[in-house]
Amino acid sequence: MTVSSKFSADAKQFVIAIDQRFDFSLHQQFREAYNSVTNQGLKYILDLSQTEYMDSSALGMILLLKDHVQLYSGSLTISKPSETVNKILKIAQFQRLMTIE
Amino acid sequence: MTRSQKLALVVDDSKVQCKMLSELLEEENYHVVIANDGASGVKKYSEHQPDLVLMDINMPIMDGFEATRRIKKLSGAGTLAPIIFITSMDNEQSFIKSVEAGGDSILVRPFTPLVFKAKVKAMQRISDLVGQVKSLQQEQQDDAELAEKMMSNVIEARNFALDKIGVIKKAAAIFSGDIQLSALCPNGDINVLLGDFTGHGLRSSIGAIPVTETFRAMTKKGFSILDIVAQINRHMHTLLPGDLFFAASFARISEHEKSAYIFNAGLPDGYLFDQKASIKKQFTSTHPPLGILPQLLPDAQFEVVQVMHTDRIVFITDGIVEARNQAGEFFGYSRFEQAAINGITQKNLVVSVLDSLDDFCQNCEQEDDISLVEVPCSGWQKVKVTNKVTIPEGFTEEDNHFGTTPNLSPTWSYHLHLTGRLLKTVNPIPLVMSQINDIEGAGEHWQSLYTILTELFINALDHGVLELYSSLKDSAEGFTQYFNERTKRLDNLADNAVSALDNFVRIELQYFPLAHGGKMIINIKDSGQGFEILDVIKDNSIAMNDGLKLSGRGIELVNQLCDTLEYQEKGTLVTASYIWHDLISLE
Repeated sequence: MTVSSKFSADAKQFVIAIDQRFDFSLHQQFREAYNSVTNQGLKYILDLSQTEYMDSSALGMILLLKDHVQLYSGSLTISKPSETVNKILKIAQFQRLMTIE
Repeated sequence: MTRSQKLALVVDDSKVQCKMLSELLEEENYHVVIANDGASGVKKYSEHQPDLVLMDINMPIMDGFEATRRIKKLSGAGTLAPIIFITSMDNEQSFIKSVEAGGDSILVRPFTPLVFKAKVKAMQRISDLVGQVKSLQQEQQDDAELAEKMMSNVIEARNFALDKIGVIKKAAAIFSGDIQLSALCPNGDINVLLGDFTGHGLRSSIGAIPVTETFRAMTKKGFSILDIVAQINRHMHTLLPGDLFFAASFARISEHEKSAYIFNAGLPDGYLFDQKASIKKQFTSTHPPLGILPQLLPDAQFEVVQVMHTDRIVFITDGIVEARNQAGEFFGYSRFEQAAINGITQKNLVVSVLDSLDDFCQNCEQEDDISLVEVPCSGWQKVKVTNKVTIPEGFTEEDNHFGTTPNLSPTWSYHLHLTGRLLKTVNPIPLVMSQINDIEGAGEHWQSLYTILTELFINALDHGVLELYSSLKDSAEGFTQYFNERTKRLDNLADNAVSALDNFVRIELQYFPLAHGGKMIINIKDSGQGFEILDVIKDNSIAMNDGLKLSGRGIELVNQLCDTLEYQEKGTLVTASYIWHDLISLE
């Protein structure tokens, strides 16, 4: 279980990707992935294509990321969630709070 | 032995060794007990519960490895009785074997007294730390249990009609992040809530008490389910940190209206089952969990469904569908649905779901709180429709002559005139009821008054101002259609600033005290075109007999509760008089 993050080549996007299970055990790692990123107007992409499972504390962690993104006037998109993960996002109606594609 | 003096056990078949080790230990202020073989070492261990054990390896009867294994078994997982092997076998194998047997350290002969004492000190330090951790853990556990006890006294003990509601509640930690509430509305409806705070344990329970208080207080005052949800959301938004939130499903079940109002914010689908255990409807989450947004989304809307007396509503938290077995598979929706259906057939949904979960998970560790509520759609406290409030027995003309002359002037009156947008955003009934309670104090008889006011206000708003036809509600589809249309028209009303003042409902109350009770005259006037209320009642009383008609029940009920009920001005003004008799003063 890992969190990986990188800037796109043009430095306009910042992609965070999560493997396998996205749950409370990643709390620290997830936070560290973006905490030092303070560029203004950055487009954050949370890549959940490799995430098999997500629990409600992960939803909480996404909300904290969203607060961070808003603080630096950026945008947040959740990218390619698997069917299982999408169901959890759907139940929490996260599509009303951020972009999911 | 003084309290400060520690106890050491020396297990060695050589008397010389025993004497030498004892002397060194006594210099370190230990009291020493001696055993000369493994078996008596184990025996002395359980007799004396020493703070430290020194263990030889090669001994008659039972060797040091076996004795160590037995001692470790005796001392259990939570306590550390440090065991130091003393050996002259300086090889890898004996070192590995002594650790495997449960030894905490090894000291190879020959050693100087200083090295020996240093080793003993180091071991003692570790075992002191273990002791501290253990007592901290115990303290924490005690605190959590006490808090849990207080919490369940506030939350569960005061729930309404617990005997009728099926409940599953299995917490993953002592503190459950899940919460189940039920409370009775002033008009006899019942409000039910199943909620899930993110995470579990103490951290996730901080919101439970404020949620409970809000839910109970607002239900009692007669606020609508959306008002309650909005208030809880505001509350949780200010209270909870950014990554904590509250997913919850709400239901208001009205037995006399044969309807249920449902709002699901972030929980898995809720269910409506019929008598034959088929799923009539599922209630999907339509709103993010509470506490994330400062206010509810503008289009937040509850769902209205028609229910039969034999139906039941079931809410679950994600802990049920996400429970996992040894192989890591989820319990899932279809297993849950099957267990629920079997359960209803066997007349015990709770037991069936629990059994099925246990079968599936076997002894896997429970990762999340598991909760469910199962609420029947009937059997709640009846509104006393049969107790027709005309003039109660023992109520005579004489009563009217006590005190002031009630038929001439009221002791107080009150009016509330709502226009335009406020008709959508304000629910006047709790405001009015709160005024009455403030002036006259609380009382049982206000329950009927609440019902009368609610029904008459809704009629004035729906059929008067919004010009909706109640005949729409005659079919199940129409029922939903009616509520959608109602929402649309209310939105139009709210957006229409030009003629805002032309649309109104005016509620007027006049209170006349009687010697053994009181009388309330209610006038409600609306800005609509009027409607033929008599037709509704007539239609309805015919339909009541074959039990088909869904609309107009409200008026029938009001008619039974009131002393007099009269529609004037083409149905745009209704005057009701409600008399109650103070039963206590009769005694």
